[in-house]
Amino acid sequence: MVKNKSKTKWLGLGLASMLVFSLGACSGDDEASGGSDGEVTLDFWAFGATNYEELAKEYEKEHPNVTIKVRSAETAEHHDALFTALSAGSGAPDIAALEVDQLDRFKEAQGRFENLYDLGAKEVQDQYLDWKWEAGANQEGDFLIGLPTDIGPKALYYRTDLFEEAGLPTEPDKVEALIDSPEAFKEAGMKVKEETGKPFVDSIEMAYRAYLDASEKTYLNPDGELLLGKEGNDVKKAYDYAVELNKAGIVGKLEMWSPEWANAVNKGEFAAELGAGWLKGWMEGNAPDAVGKWRVATLPTEFAANWGGSYISIPSETEHPQEAYDFVEWLVSPDNQLKSFESKGLFPSATSVYDMEEFKTNEDKFFGGQVTSTVFAEAAQDIDGAVFKGVKYFPVHQEVLNALHNVQEGGDPEKEWKAAIKRAEDLIDR
Amino acid sequence: MVSMSGEERGVKKKRYRSEKKKDMISGYLYVAPFFIIFGVIGLYPAAFSIYLAFQKWNGLSPMSFVGLDNFRIVLEDPLFWKSVYNTIIMGLMGTAPQIIVGIVLAFLLNLTFLRFKNFFRITIFMPYITSMVAVALIFSVLFSNHESSLANYLLGVFGFDPVNWSTSEWGTKIAISIMVFWRWVGYNTIIYLAGIQSISNDLYEAATIDGANKFQQLLFITMPLLKPFIILTVFFSTVGALQLFSEPTIFLGAGAFTRDEALTVVMYLYRDAFKLQSFGTASATAIILLVIILFFATINTLITSGTGRKKKGVR
Repeated sequence: MVKNKSKTKWLGLGLASMLVFSLGACSGDDEASGGSDGEVTLDFWAFGATNYEELAKEYEKEHPNVTIKVRSAETAEHHDALFTALSAGSGAPDIAALEVDQLDRFKEAQGRFENLYDLGAKEVQDQYLDWKWEAGANQEGDFLIGLPTDIGPKALYYRTDLFEEAGLPTEPDKVEALIDSPEAFKEAGMKVKEETGKPFVDSIEMAYRAYLDASEKTYLNPDGELLLGKEGNDVKKAYDYAVELNKAGIVGKLEMWSPEWANAVNKGEFAAELGAGWLKGWMEGNAPDAVGKWRVATLPTEFAANWGGSYISIPSETEHPQEAYDFVEWLVSPDNQLKSFESKGLFPSATSVYDMEEFKTNEDKFFGGQVTSTVFAEAAQDIDGAVFKGVKYFPVHQEVLNALHNVQEGGDPEKEWKAAIKRAEDLIDR
Repeated sequence: MVSMSGEERGVKKKRYRSEKKKDMISGYLYVAPFFIIFGVIGLYPAAFSIYLAFQKWNGLSPMSFVGLDNFRIVLEDPLFWKSVYNTIIMGLMGTAPQIIVGIVLAFLLNLTFLRFKNFFRITIFMPYITSMVAVALIFSVLFSNHESSLANYLLGVFGFDPVNWSTSEWGTKIAISIMVFWRWVGYNTIIYLAGIQSISNDLYEAATIDGANKFQQLLFITMPLLKPFIILTVFFSTVGALQLFSEPTIFLGAGAFTRDEALTVVMYLYRDAFKLQSFGTASATAIILLVIILFFATINTLITSGTGRKKKGVR
């Protein structure tokens, strides 16, 4: 019997080590969230530069039984990690931020998220911009995946020195009055090109996005069908406009975020950028030589659009949906959106913020003392409706961009357009 | 868990057997970690991938069985064939010269009159142990589209026009092939060098007495005896070349999965899974790639062992 015991000991050890290995390999750390006397721990995954950590500390002070762990990652990494966790069915946080461009990918799996309408979201709906709210709901409008955080209303950023050299006005309201249509936009561009020799728009993508971002129907419909190349969407109009601007010689070859582009923003190698509100924050931190050179004006209404912004969602894996929701509702309240705007430049989606004194008098040194926040607020309210993007928006977008880049290298616009449609069709039905 | 009843029959016998079994069990325990880890992160994903190849799955929604549809989609996709073409072309340009240059370098490194041998050996091997991300980033600077990049500057010195290294059909392929060649040639050289050093000196002495010159020695002694090493490196190079992924991905940066000039098969597969959320077609591509690799590895191994045999016949 002694021997038997030692044998079972060996076997036990073997099995135990196997278990340890397989457990260690398979599962992430399961945190014991929730204690005996109402203690609640909430994991919150955010991305990018936010002030959510400070706000979470504030919330913890007001609610001593709640602990919030904020983990912030880089945008792509954040969404991939969340996707993997949801796909595996374990390891997702209690609260997760979602970028608007990634939203449809997660909306497809709405069963893995809490319906925020069930948790009381209806009550705060009228605080936010309609189009922003709608994009956070499903097509039927009965399931809300996330509460709105920031938005990215687009405006015309322009260089006063180049505009002056070209004989164009430099004051924002005069620029708005002059560039009030797509045609006027092109004419102003040709003047800049003639007088300064520099491109008006930085890249063909920006020229293309002028119309594209503003159209409600783009590449895909809610059933996942490709609209590209069919009637009833504005993609071709956007494409043709980009080709037209390129033909006029006013489009540069500076890809956004490339070192060459960053240098050009700093040195004034192009005159205008159709940028979203968040670009302001980047410029202030990365274009030291351009202080006072840039101004912001509202775009022609045809180009009024949103680019970027986020939502905050609650994955169903959470054990504390109501506590999580209460925090999220507080986090995106108008007062806190103002704080996020002041500290990190996250542009508010709650309309009441636009009337707050602190918001309206927020002067930008970088923009020569101009109050840019009101320009973006106006742009945000110019936007008509929610844009439907769809899961495969980006791959399709990329194919059209390839076509436009080839056009810039001398390709035939119609041939490239047809080739892009073909490539998009190939990737859509998989 | 294990029946012990047989153990209670005889004390003597039992002691002997259990000692033996104890050794056996501890032996298995020693090798268990490898097999467990391999099973979890190697075998299971591979098997699951075969299963996935017949499913349509976007990662979150439920899977649906689609039979051979994924294979049809991939095989009918012109982009897939473009990626196969790219992979083979870059494989030929990047790895084939390695074999030849590797042998020459190994032969030179083994020459008795060469000084600072260790210095040269380390220098040639260094690229292999350099971080690949660093290598790709440096190369993307050397081969940038800009007219003043080092590669374009050198072309300019010889009177050629600058090349768009990251967007043109041949520019990208040549730049990536050079990078692959530079990085792996040292690895092959070291294997050949080890091979050359394992050849007995007696053979060379005997050949010298018979009046064979250095070149004849290389051709009739070194090459045939190096054959197993050549087969090995050709095999590894073929498999490695067909799995090319990291070099082009980092070299191309943001444009990696959007343009087709240097899209390799593994990049095509990765794009399907992680850019298009189509794990079914990605898994199907993986299986097709497995077949392609088996095909080329077999052919190349047959060719290399075949050339050796011919030499034997001549001798």
